[in-house]
Amino acid sequence: MSNILTVLIFFPLVAGLFGFMVNQKSIRAYGIAVAAAEFLLSLWLWMSFDTSAAGMQFVEKLPLIPEFGINYYIGVDGISLFIVIMSTLMTLIGIVALSIKENLKNMIITLLFLEVTMVGVFASLDVILFYLFWEFSLVPMLYIIGAWGGPKKLYAAVKFFIYTFAGSLVMLIGILAFAYLYHSQTGTWSFSLTDWYALLLPFDAQTWLFWAFFLGFAIKVPMFPFHTWLPYAHGQAPTVGSVILAAVLLKMGTYGFVRFSLPLFPDASVAYIVPVAIISLIMVVYTAMVAYAQKDIKQVIAYSSISHMGVIVLGTFAMNVEGIAGSVFLMLSHGIVSGALFLLVGVIYDRKHTKMMDQFGGLAYSMPTYATIFGIMTMAAVGLPLTIGFVGEYLSLAGFFKVSPVLTVIAGTSIILGAVYMLTVLKKTFFGPITHEENKHLPDLDGKELWALVPLVAIVVWLGVYPKPVLGPIDNSTKALVQLMHEKAQTDLAKQTISVSKNSAKEAK
Amino acid sequence: MENLLYIALFAPLVSSLFAALFAQSQKNLLVGIVASLLIGVSFVASATLLLELAQNPKAIHANLMDWIVVGDMDVRFGFTVDQVTAVMMTVVTLVSTVVHIYSNYYMEHDRSYNRFFSYLSAFVFSMMVLVMSDNFLGLFIGWEGVGVCSWLLVGFWYHKKDETRDVNPSISPSWAANEAFIMNRIADLGLLVGIFMIYWNLGTLRYEEVFAHLDQLSHGLMVAIGIALFIGAMGKSAQFPLHTWLADAMEGPTPVSALIHAATMVTAGVYLVIRANPLYSTIPEVGYGIAVLGTFVAIFAASMALVNRDLKRVIAYSTLSQLGYMFAAAGLGAYWVALFHLAAHAFFKALLFLGAGNVMHAMHDELDMFKMGGLKKEMGKTFLYMGLASLALSGIYPLAGFFSKDTILEVAFNEHTYGIWFVLWLTAGMTAFYSFRQVFLVFLGDERYKKYGIHPHEAYNWVFIALAPLAILAVIFGFWKEEFMHFATQMLPVYEMSEHTHHMVWILIIVTTAIAVSGILLAYFKYAKGLKRDPKVENSFAYRLLSNQYYIPILYENAVSKPYADLSNIAWQAIDMKVVDATVDGIAKTIEKGGDVSRQAQDGNLSSYLKWLTAGLILVTLIAVASVAIK
Repeated sequence: MSNILTVLIFFPLVAGLFGFMVNQKSIRAYGIAVAAAEFLLSLWLWMSFDTSAAGMQFVEKLPLIPEFGINYYIGVDGISLFIVIMSTLMTLIGIVALSIKENLKNMIITLLFLEVTMVGVFASLDVILFYLFWEFSLVPMLYIIGAWGGPKKLYAAVKFFIYTFAGSLVMLIGILAFAYLYHSQTGTWSFSLTDWYALLLPFDAQTWLFWAFFLGFAIKVPMFPFHTWLPYAHGQAPTVGSVILAAVLLKMGTYGFVRFSLPLFPDASVAYIVPVAIISLIMVVYTAMVAYAQKDIKQVIAYSSISHMGVIVLGTFAMNVEGIAGSVFLMLSHGIVSGALFLLVGVIYDRKHTKMMDQFGGLAYSMPTYATIFGIMTMAAVGLPLTIGFVGEYLSLAGFFKVSPVLTVIAGTSIILGAVYMLTVLKKTFFGPITHEENKHLPDLDGKELWALVPLVAIVVWLGVYPKPVLGPIDNSTKALVQLMHEKAQTDLAKQTISVSKNSAKEAK
Repeated sequence: MENLLYIALFAPLVSSLFAALFAQSQKNLLVGIVASLLIGVSFVASATLLLELAQNPKAIHANLMDWIVVGDMDVRFGFTVDQVTAVMMTVVTLVSTVVHIYSNYYMEHDRSYNRFFSYLSAFVFSMMVLVMSDNFLGLFIGWEGVGVCSWLLVGFWYHKKDETRDVNPSISPSWAANEAFIMNRIADLGLLVGIFMIYWNLGTLRYEEVFAHLDQLSHGLMVAIGIALFIGAMGKSAQFPLHTWLADAMEGPTPVSALIHAATMVTAGVYLVIRANPLYSTIPEVGYGIAVLGTFVAIFAASMALVNRDLKRVIAYSTLSQLGYMFAAAGLGAYWVALFHLAAHAFFKALLFLGAGNVMHAMHDELDMFKMGGLKKEMGKTFLYMGLASLALSGIYPLAGFFSKDTILEVAFNEHTYGIWFVLWLTAGMTAFYSFRQVFLVFLGDERYKKYGIHPHEAYNWVFIALAPLAILAVIFGFWKEEFMHFATQMLPVYEMSEHTHHMVWILIIVTTAIAVSGILLAYFKYAKGLKRDPKVENSFAYRLLSNQYYIPILYENAVSKPYADLSNIAWQAIDMKVVDATVDGIAKTIEKGGDVSRQAQDGNLSSYLKWLTAGLILVTLIAVASVAIK
C-alpha cells in the first residue's frame, strides 16, 4: 500500500462525512471505531517505516498547480512520524473519554475533521499544503471551544482564532516571499520543502524570513508575550478541546521551528539564538510562577504547558543532535502528559463542576486510583527519570548546555519550579483532611476514564524506561537535519555552533 | 555473578510491585511477609557478592539494555559491583530487611499497610539503582527515585492537616514531603549541571571512562564539576543550607525515618563523593571546603539536638551531625574512613530509630520527651537496645562508633587541620550529651507519662529478635576495621597516617573518650534523676535560638517561600493579566474602533462619498508631487 499516508490523512474526513448519516445513539461507538482504525493505521505506518533511514518515507507527490510548483506532496521522517502517531492516539483517547452529552455527533465529527488537519500538517512537504492544513486546523478548534465551552466561550474562541490567524498571516507573507526569492534565484516556482532546503539565502533575507515564520510559530507555541490566548482557550474549552490543544496543536509551532526555521534559515537561527533563548527562559520561569499563583487546577496545567514549551524551544535552538532530538521527544512526552493531566482535571470537573483547588482536599482518600494516576502524571510532568518526561527535558537542557551553560542553569530551574506548582496542586487537591463533606463519596475513575488513562500511564512508563523505539528514528532524522544545516551554513558563527554528531559524520558519504 | 547482581537489584522491585497489587485492599499479612522475604533475598545476594569480591577482587559488570542513545550520547542501564558498591548494597539491604520486618510490627494497625510496603520496597530498589549504576545518569535515576519514595513515605499519613509551627514544627506530613522534594530538587539541578559538564567535556558518563580521562580536563573545570556534584550531594545528605527538610521529614512513619532518613538515602551524598574520589583527590581545595562544611554541619546540628524535646528530631539532628563527620572524612581524602563510618552509623542509627519507634508505640505517638521518663521499668529491652545504640553513637569503646568516629578525628589531626579536629572533638562531647539526655529523659527518672494517662507496653519479643542483627553489628562492627580497610582500599585510595599521628593515637583516643564520657555524665546528673526544668534557661536567647533551629525555617519561609508566592501573584495578576493580555486586547479594540470609525465613510450618502473622493484625489496628487519633488 504505497499511498498509506494519504489514506491516513483523509480517512477521518471520509469517515466524518459518513458520520452525519450515523444514528445519534451509535455515534459514540462509530467515533471510537474510526479513531481506533486511524490509530491502528498510524501504527501500521510505524511498522512499515524503515527505522534505519533518515530521509522522508511514504512520499507521494501529485501536481496541484504546476505553474506555481504547488504539489500535493507528503511524507514523514523520524521527526514527524511520531507526532502523527501521537495525534491519532490523542484523538482516540479524547473520543474515548468524551463525557459530553449535547451534540455529541457534531463533536465527534468535528474531532475527526480536526484529526485530518493535524495529520495533514505534520505530513505535508509542500509549504502551501502545510499552510492550508495549518489554517484549517483553527476551524474545528474554534467550533469546539465556541460551542461546548464555558461561560466566556465566545471570547476565548474568537481570541484563539484571531490571534493565531494573525500570526499565520505574517507567516504566509514569509512563505510567499520565500517562494519569490526561490523563483528569482532558480527561475522556477516551487513550494516543495525539499527544494527549499537546497536554497542558499543571503543573511539579510534569512533574517526577515526567520522572524516572519517565527511570529507564526511563536503565537502557536505560544511563546511569551503571545501566550495569553492559551489560558482563556483552556479555561473555556471542554476537556477534549484542551487535550487536543495541549497535546497536538501547540506542537505545530515547535514542529515548525524544527521543520522550517532551522533548515531554511540556519544562519539566522544561529544568529538569533540569544533572543529566542531569552524568550524561552521567560516562558520557563515566569509562566512557572504564574502557574503557581493559579487557584484553578486547569489553569495550572495550562500555564505549565507554556513553561514546558519553553524548554522545547530551547532544546530546538541547541543546534546539536542531543538538543533537537530531545526537544522532539519532549513534544511527544509533553503531548502525552499534558493531555493526560487535562483528562484528569476533566474527571473531577465532571463530578463536581468546579476545577478550583480549594473545593477539594483529601481526594486521595475517596479516589485512590484517580490520585495514583494523577501522581504518576505529575511525576512525569516534573521530569522524573524512568518516566517519559525525563528523557526529553534532560536532552533538551543537556543540548542547550553546550550553547550556554548559564542560560541552561536558569532554564534548569524548571525542574524546581515545576515541582513547586505541581506538588502544590497535589497537596491542595489530594492531601490533607477532606474539607468538603460531599467529596467523601466522590466515585473513583469509571471504566471509560480508565480506558482513556491507563494506556497513557503505560506509555509514560514504557517510553521512560525504554525510549529507544521512538528516540532511535528521531535521532536518525535529526542527525540528517543537523548535517544539512551544517552544510548550508554560510556564516562562521553558524558553522561553529551547529554541531554535527561524531556518529553521523562517519555515516555521511 | 551477573545473576546475583540482578537478583539483588530486582528483588526489591518485585516486592514493591507485588505489594502494589494489594495497595487498595485490606491489610494482607502476606504482603508484609513476602516483601520482607524478597528484601532478605536481595540482602543474601548482596552479601554473597561482597564475600565473592573479598575472595576475588574483580568488579562485576552487567549491561542490561540501552536507555538514552542520541547523537553522541550513549547511556545504558549498566551496573557494576565493586568494593564500594558491595559495601553499600550490603548495608542498604541489611538495614532494609530489618526495617521491613520491623514494619510488620510498627504498621500492623495501619489501614494502608500494603501500600506502605509497596513504597518501602520501591525505595530499596531506587537505592540499589543509585549505588549499583555504573554511570552518572543511572545514579541520577536512583537519586530521583529515592527522592520520590521519600516524598511518598514522608507524606504517608497524607490525611493530617496543616498546623502552625508552634503546634507542629513540621506543619504536616504532606507539607514536609513537599519541602523535602523541592529542596532536593534545588540540589539536583547542581548534580544535573555537573553531569552536563562531564558529558560535553568527556563525551561519556560512565564512571570508568570519566575517571580514566580526568587528565583531559582543566583544573578549573574539575573544580566546577566537583562543586556541581557536591551541590547535588548537599541536597540528599541535607547539608547546610539545604538541611531543614531532614528534621521535618520525621513526619514519616518511624521505620521510614530509620531506613531513609538515617541509614541509607541521606548517605547518598557521601556515597557520591566517595564514588567520585578520583575527581575530588585532584581538587583538594574543594575537598577541604567539603570537610569544613561537614564539620560545621556536625556541630551546628548537634547544637540543635542539645535542647530539642522531640524524640525523633533529636535523632534526626544527630544524623545530620554524623553526616557532617562523614563529609569531613571524605573531604580530607580519607574515603574509606567515610565509608566505614557510613556503614557503622547505618547500623546503630537504624537501631536507635527503631527503638524510638517502640517508644512511640508505647506512648501512643507522643514525641515529647518531657512527657516520658522512667520507661525502663516497662520497656527494658528497648532501653537496652537504645542504650547500646547511644553508646555506639557516642563513640564509647568497644562499640562500632568508637572505631569509626575516632578514625575520623585521627584523620583530621593527621591532616594538621586542627580546627576541624577541635570542632569534631567538641561535637563528640555534645553527641554523647544529647544522646544520653534522650536515653535518660525517656527511660530513667520520674514517670511523667502517668499524668497523661498513658499505659506503655513493650514491643513483641520477635521484634527484638528482628533488631538483633543491628544491635550485634553496633557492638562488633568496629572490630572489623582492619578487614574493612583492606577490602575498601582495593577500590579507594589508601589513607596513611603519619608517624606523628601514630605516636599521638593513644592520647587522641583518651582525649576523645574523655569528652564523650563527660558528656554522658553531664546528661546523667542533669536528667537521670528526673526532669527539673529551669524557666530561666528555657527562656534564654541561646535556648530559644537552638530550639527554633536558629530561626532558619522561619527565615526561609519569610525570605523565600512567601516572596515567591507574592511575586507569582504579581506575575499573574499585575503583569500577565494587566499588561500582556491587556495590550493584546487593547490592540484588538483599537482595530475594532478603527473599523467603527471608518465605517462611517460608507454611510450611503452620495455627497459624503464625493467629499471622500475629493479628499482622496487631493491626497494622491500631493503624494505624487511630493515624490517628484524629492527625486
